[in-house]
Amino acid sequence: MIGHISENRSIFAGYHPLVNYMWFAYVILLPVFFMHPVIVAISFVPALAHSIYLGRRRAARFGLCFVLPLMVIAALFNPAFNHRGITILYYINYNPITLEAVIYGIVAAGMIGGVVFWFVCYNSIMTSDKFIYLFGRIVPAMSMVISMALRFVPRYRAQIKRIIAARRGIGFDVSSGKFIERVRSGGAILSVMLTWALENGIETGDSMLSRGYGLPGRTAYSNYRFDSRDRTLVLLLAALMSVALFVCVTGLISVVYYPMFVMESVSPFAGIAYVCHGAVCLLPLALELREDAIWNMALHGCGACAGRQEGVPCLK
Amino acid sequence: MAAIIVILCIPAVMAVNILFFEDRSYYATSFIIIALSLVPFALVFEGRKPQARELVVIAVMVAVAVVGRAAFFMLPQFKPVVAIVIIAGAALGAESGFAVGALTGFVSNFIFGQGPWTPWQMFAFGIIGFLAGLIFYRLAASIGAPSRDGSGAEGVVAYKWYDTGRLGWNVRARKRVEWLRVFVLCVFGGVITFVVYGLLLDTAAAIMFSSGDVTLSQLLTTYLTGAPFNMVHAAATVFFLAVLARTMIEKLERVKKKYGLLGAEA
Repeated sequence: MIGHISENRSIFAGYHPLVNYMWFAYVILLPVFFMHPVIVAISFVPALAHSIYLGRRRAARFGLCFVLPLMVIAALFNPAFNHRGITILYYINYNPITLEAVIYGIVAAGMIGGVVFWFVCYNSIMTSDKFIYLFGRIVPAMSMVISMALRFVPRYRAQIKRIIAARRGIGFDVSSGKFIERVRSGGAILSVMLTWALENGIETGDSMLSRGYGLPGRTAYSNYRFDSRDRTLVLLLAALMSVALFVCVTGLISVVYYPMFVMESVSPFAGIAYVCHGAVCLLPLALELREDAIWNMALHGCGACAGRQEGVPCLK
Repeated sequence: MAAIIVILCIPAVMAVNILFFEDRSYYATSFIIIALSLVPFALVFEGRKPQARELVVIAVMVAVAVVGRAAFFMLPQFKPVVAIVIIAGAALGAESGFAVGALTGFVSNFIFGQGPWTPWQMFAFGIIGFLAGLIFYRLAASIGAPSRDGSGAEGVVAYKWYDTGRLGWNVRARKRVEWLRVFVLCVFGGVITFVVYGLLLDTAAAIMFSSGDVTLSQLLTTYLTGAPFNMVHAAATVFFLAVLARTMIEKLERVKKKYGLLGAEA
């Protein structure tokens, strides 16, 4: 069962939702707002690595089959349509292809790819319960609806299966008959489901009301505690983030694409910003890897081996 | 009041963008503006302190739309979501329609994956639900209206557009009016899916692909290549409205009447 446990175990996901959210807001938004080639490149690699760490082969396949073509299209899209810039490389159908547009397209592609990979990680770490926990106090009614709807979805699927089975039992099989008949049958299934769902929902609502939903002084159940581990990580992340943000916002590193590509990127300040930004992007992955090493150490006395799955022999 | 603050926020975001980022990141700016535009609707919804029963009915509609989107996962673009959102708007009103639409976009992306497209989808679905509510919940009470069947000109406002009860036992007249209304709903659904949802999401795609530095020709190309997909989506909406609208609205009406929801007259 070792393999099974380690599949679902992510140390960073175990931190407080606030820490998760703060980190994602930073890593997703900074390269989007500040499309500096070096910053984009520094974000892209950890994004790819982290998504592959979390999603394993599926993430790698997704990257190869979906994100890579997306990035190629994005890189080509810009110079094909955008003819700004003064360094003309060549002409296609009397349209100038400029070096500036090509560079912008490539940086943009890197940014888009990075954002998509960060969202792969986001989808695996920021589960709906964390979102509801974070926003439950700001938009209580909306997050109530979200959490109810999330619960209803699997319930309705199960109910639809039951309705289909019952209708098959009385001779109305959805999978047979003419197209029109099947459409009608499908409509009938949905109609039965909706009646059941609404009646059921009203009952749920009344039950909520009788248990005091919406009364003042009610608290919400929460699974999360902000402990010293979270505090340490928040302080560390906040320090690194503010240094990187400060350097970006004050123009100590900057980039202009049009009319001519000018990049301010080499200076001690720039170096500090790159290190801080890279550290922020890599920190959660580093935590994961350290945790894996500790875990493997405890199991095999070998921190580096790939014996995470049961049955895979230790290399040592 | 809160809505005014949000509206003031939008130019502020643009100003910050121009001042600090030399107006390059349309991508991020558009993302934030579209996310901010969701806020006033959320504030109105929260400010009303909706009852538990009302919340549950909205959650039911959201879940039905999400199940619908999941059920048709193998057919690209051919989804019943817009149809269900329109039905929700027409039967529950503009605000609830917006809530159902926006939350459907959000909740279904827990299954299909959140991404930079989430706020765009939320806004597109939401505004469709809102418009459907605005037009069909109150204003379009006159579609296929009275007089023809002798019930007289009691004033069109007295009629809810779906309420055929006053046509009495004249079954043929009722059928005719009902189908006329479904037809009007289908036309509305097809057009709005193509125009509002299609154009909004294509704009989002164009901005994403060019990551901000979008030109007019890029936009037009995206609209053109997106048109067939939007046609399929619009056709799906018309199809699902034709199949579902009558029964679903009837059921929502019944629940509203039975339990006195959303200020429905008992």
